[in-house]
Amino acid sequence: MLDLSLKKALGGFSIDVELSLGPELLVLFGPSGAGKSLLLKLLAGIIRPDEGRVTIDARVIFDGRMGVDAPMRTRRIGFVFQDYSLFPHKTVRENIAYGMDGLPPDETRERAAGLINVMRLGGLDARYPGELSGGQKQRVALARTLGASPRILLLDEPFSALDYQVREKLRADLLTIHRLYPITTILVTHDLEEAFMLGERIAVINNGRIEQVGTREEVFYRPATRNVARFMGARNIFSGRVEAVDAETVVIHNPDIGRISAFQPPGAAVAPGREVTFCIRPEEVIIIKPDKAVGGKDNENVVEGEITSVMAKGATHVLFLRAGERGAALKVELPNFVVRKLGLATGAVIKVLLKKESVWVIP
Amino acid sequence: MGLTDNRMDFFPLYLTVKVSLIATVITVCAGGALSWTLARKTFPGKDIVDALVVQPLVMPPTVLGYYLLVLLGRGSGFGRFLSDTLGIEIVFTWKGAVVAAVISSLPLFVKPARAAFEGVGGDLENAARLLGKTEWEVLRTITLPLAWRGILAGAVMAFARATGEFGATLMVAGNIPGRTQTLPIAIYDAVQSGDTASANALVLIITVFSFGVIYATGRLMKGRM
Repeated sequence: MLDLSLKKALGGFSIDVELSLGPELLVLFGPSGAGKSLLLKLLAGIIRPDEGRVTIDARVIFDGRMGVDAPMRTRRIGFVFQDYSLFPHKTVRENIAYGMDGLPPDETRERAAGLINVMRLGGLDARYPGELSGGQKQRVALARTLGASPRILLLDEPFSALDYQVREKLRADLLTIHRLYPITTILVTHDLEEAFMLGERIAVINNGRIEQVGTREEVFYRPATRNVARFMGARNIFSGRVEAVDAETVVIHNPDIGRISAFQPPGAAVAPGREVTFCIRPEEVIIIKPDKAVGGKDNENVVEGEITSVMAKGATHVLFLRAGERGAALKVELPNFVVRKLGLATGAVIKVLLKKESVWVIP
Repeated sequence: MGLTDNRMDFFPLYLTVKVSLIATVITVCAGGALSWTLARKTFPGKDIVDALVVQPLVMPPTVLGYYLLVLLGRGSGFGRFLSDTLGIEIVFTWKGAVVAAVISSLPLFVKPARAAFEGVGGDLENAARLLGKTEWEVLRTITLPLAWRGILAGAVMAFARATGEFGATLMVAGNIPGRTQTLPIAIYDAVQSGDTASANALVLIITVFSFGVIYATGRLMKGRM
């Protein structure tokens, strides 16, 4: 269990964050300069907070008002640095055993061997960090941290320096490790895919403030703020005036894209006349086949637009449309086969459906 | 000093080695703490401390010697305190030569030692602290093992500088044969009195020694020793 409330002003930047974690893996996600790494450093005691309180399993390790500021060595916080910070003059085995204090030698040896095994470092134990690949260094750093039996694990962009394949593998490793050693973990990243893959819960931080904490589905599909929608790649974000409301539906008019129906966001009644923001993810936009007739009730949320550009993006294609009443920019992401089958190319005029359940109104 | 009665007087050599060794020990201890502080801490007036430490490198040694003479002599309260209360006489004794050597060799030690400490990156030390280590353990197992080359190089430079110290030493310790006459001063003395043979021998000793030191330091810094 980790409860924290921390404040710090540094130059022109300030951070003010409250979080509460169980024995889970929380991803702290946000753009560069949002204060992600700073938060980890405040938590670990590398930088002293101005005020706040941190408790780990009911033990107070920092309390600005009571003057409690436990030294780093007694906090039992495991920290994996972005550059790994392995001790260059110690071997892999020595690095891993470094934090195992107070154990009899053969138990230390056994523990180190266990971690070397779990982290797939067998055969490398006599090497020095300078002789390891990036992915191996990363695993040594994680093993070294776990060797000291931390209560909390903090990972500062642990995979950012690695190439794609190694990163994929290590993410899977991390999930395995987390199941094996279920300690409260905070992982910092600015990589959306990583956040989604690893975070049971995701906390989105921007400009030193947490904008939303929730399950990955909540943060991804039901963003609490415009910024969260933007960071989560919702991309199609519009503002509009609420024209009509009933028990479950809101009709919003945006001058560029037109009239859009959406479900009422839970727990927040939206009154007619109000300006609201709504969004739809590019991959949720549905293409309507040209030969399929639409009309009547089916016409709801159907928007016509001209394709302004088509971009291949690996497994998918990204289309940019000038759509709706006055040509709103709309981003659509489609599987390659759809693009091929329908012969979608720049200049074509197509109809798309913004499904009502895919449109999210930011309360 | 001289070959006047056909035998070498080894006192200046002995005194120089003794003074330089003691001065180097003091420089490494005081300068080590100073370099670590300059590398790790920020405090008001840090730039002033930095400038003061480096200043002996560019100031005429006689000026430095004059300051020390005034500070440590009976003319100042501090000097009287040293001599009357603690019973320590510094001016015109070999201890004066030690003080002069420490002050003039300090910048040569602090520069590489500080760079060595800075090279150990704070994250490595923080990693060790977060793994449960005390400050002393961090210093012993991480900082010093990674910074020792720079510290040793600085110590060698400081020792070499101490053996060659002339101006400040002459001012503070004087030129008393058999008591405060170090090698560089003996060379000056030999030349002044036309004793070329002595001067040549002593100059050769100093030249070979200082070349050896610079060469060894260079090798050390490149990691070949």
